[in-house]
Amino acid sequence: MSIPMVSKLLRAHLSELATNNQRIDGRGRWDGRDISLEVDVLDRAEGSAKVTMGDTIVYAGVKFQLMTPYPDRPNEGGLMCGAEVRPVAGRNWEAGPPSAESIELGRVVDRGIRESGCIDVNSLCIIPGEKAWQVILDLFAISDDGNLFDAFGLAAIAALKTAIVPCEKFEVGEDYPLNVSKTPIMCSYHKVGNRFVYDANAQEELGGDERIHITLGDDNHVHSLQKGLKGIFSADEFAEIMERAKIKSSELRKLVDSVLGD
Amino acid sequence: MGGYGDIQMIDENGLRMDGRTATQVRPITIETGVIPVADGSCRMTWGTNDVVVAIYGPMEAHPRKIQRQDRAVLDVRYNMAPFSTSDRIRPGFNRRSREISKVTADALESVVLLELYPRSKIRVEIEVLCAEAGTRCVGLTAASVALADAGIPMTDLVVSVASGKVNDVVVCDLNKEEDNYGEADLPMGVLPNSGELVFLQMDGDLSPEEFQTAWDYNVQAASEIHKIMVEALRKGGVN
Repeated sequence: MSIPMVSKLLRAHLSELATNNQRIDGRGRWDGRDISLEVDVLDRAEGSAKVTMGDTIVYAGVKFQLMTPYPDRPNEGGLMCGAEVRPVAGRNWEAGPPSAESIELGRVVDRGIRESGCIDVNSLCIIPGEKAWQVILDLFAISDDGNLFDAFGLAAIAALKTAIVPCEKFEVGEDYPLNVSKTPIMCSYHKVGNRFVYDANAQEELGGDERIHITLGDDNHVHSLQKGLKGIFSADEFAEIMERAKIKSSELRKLVDSVLGD
Repeated sequence: MGGYGDIQMIDENGLRMDGRTATQVRPITIETGVIPVADGSCRMTWGTNDVVVAIYGPMEAHPRKIQRQDRAVLDVRYNMAPFSTSDRIRPGFNRRSREISKVTADALESVVLLELYPRSKIRVEIEVLCAEAGTRCVGLTAASVALADAGIPMTDLVVSVASGKVNDVVVCDLNKEEDNYGEADLPMGVLPNSGELVFLQMDGDLSPEEFQTAWDYNVQAASEIHKIMVEALRKGGVN
């Protein structure tokens, strides 16, 4: 991603708004943009979801491959998660090999899903030491207006929860739904005008400083954290956004459950 | 072309596996303005194909060596998302997508008034989210709608459609099975107002008569698809 020049005016404007407890698009400090979640939107994927957060639009698609289990873990299948932000998603995203930004995106989402233990890798084993499923989760952005992290995180868990293991296609039995036992949710906070806000848009990302991503499980257990970009934050600031993340993640978990009809 | 002539894909009434007649195209929907951050955009579904196109520009062309003093350059990228096909595609450019990007650019350069924007670049980003058959035709057609949505002057839209041969019968707009097991494929890019062509490929085996029939089917289908394109642009506020 090419980083556009950041105007001092934008930073000054964001700071001024922050001192008046306002945001550039009129939202409150902890408000998210309008969000919509659709599932089963891609015919060729075994599981899929589309998330729209304001003008940010992303897809997640799940595919399966057969793999030979690793020699030291003969009873386990695999989970692979990758994010691609191609130039379709915005004028600053460039063609070429995956950028550091998109690799970070994929890895942070991957850790949240993997470490929550929502997918039992042992259940992906077909014949120990010989054959197992590899679950491949591809995250794909088509419109980037900021906070791709949360959009990807939400699309990822929703796509996994709709995935059908394609046994018939690979001639290893009957199709069955992938067992996803938990709903890890990521919440991201950006330092804008010297205070953290939830769900920054592209302008706030551009004129802001560091960002912190928190993935929480069903029981508010922490599964992944990431601090990105230059910036310094205090323990008190972190404690505050952690409390906010607990509230927000449970709201988003309810959204996932309602869309999936659990 | 697989050429498995023994697979019956046309029934005794001349209907195809999905119930279409020889000249019928799959259902098409077009929507403009689907990518809010782009200067122009379009989503086109055609059968179970699902393709989005974003236009960025005209913008500064860099690196400078790609600039042309007398016209804009079109930077066209066709790509299939990893989950767009039955078997996952490893991300990254491959020979197929590179060729399709090139022939799509060649087609669009023939209609876009590039000389109006010297030293600039117009990016055309074609992303296939779900592929059935004929994604290059969907990509080219959708790209011309997205360019119009971006307000970029063109002499005409481009309508791209393919006809081919299945069980020795010439049919229009091959679906996945027909594409896999058919005997020929003739994709064309037609300018609906003049009837001229800006894109042509073919592979397989067609007699001169079959070739003419396939050609005529494409021209006829193009005029039907053109109506859907114009309607979508009007609905999106472009005249």
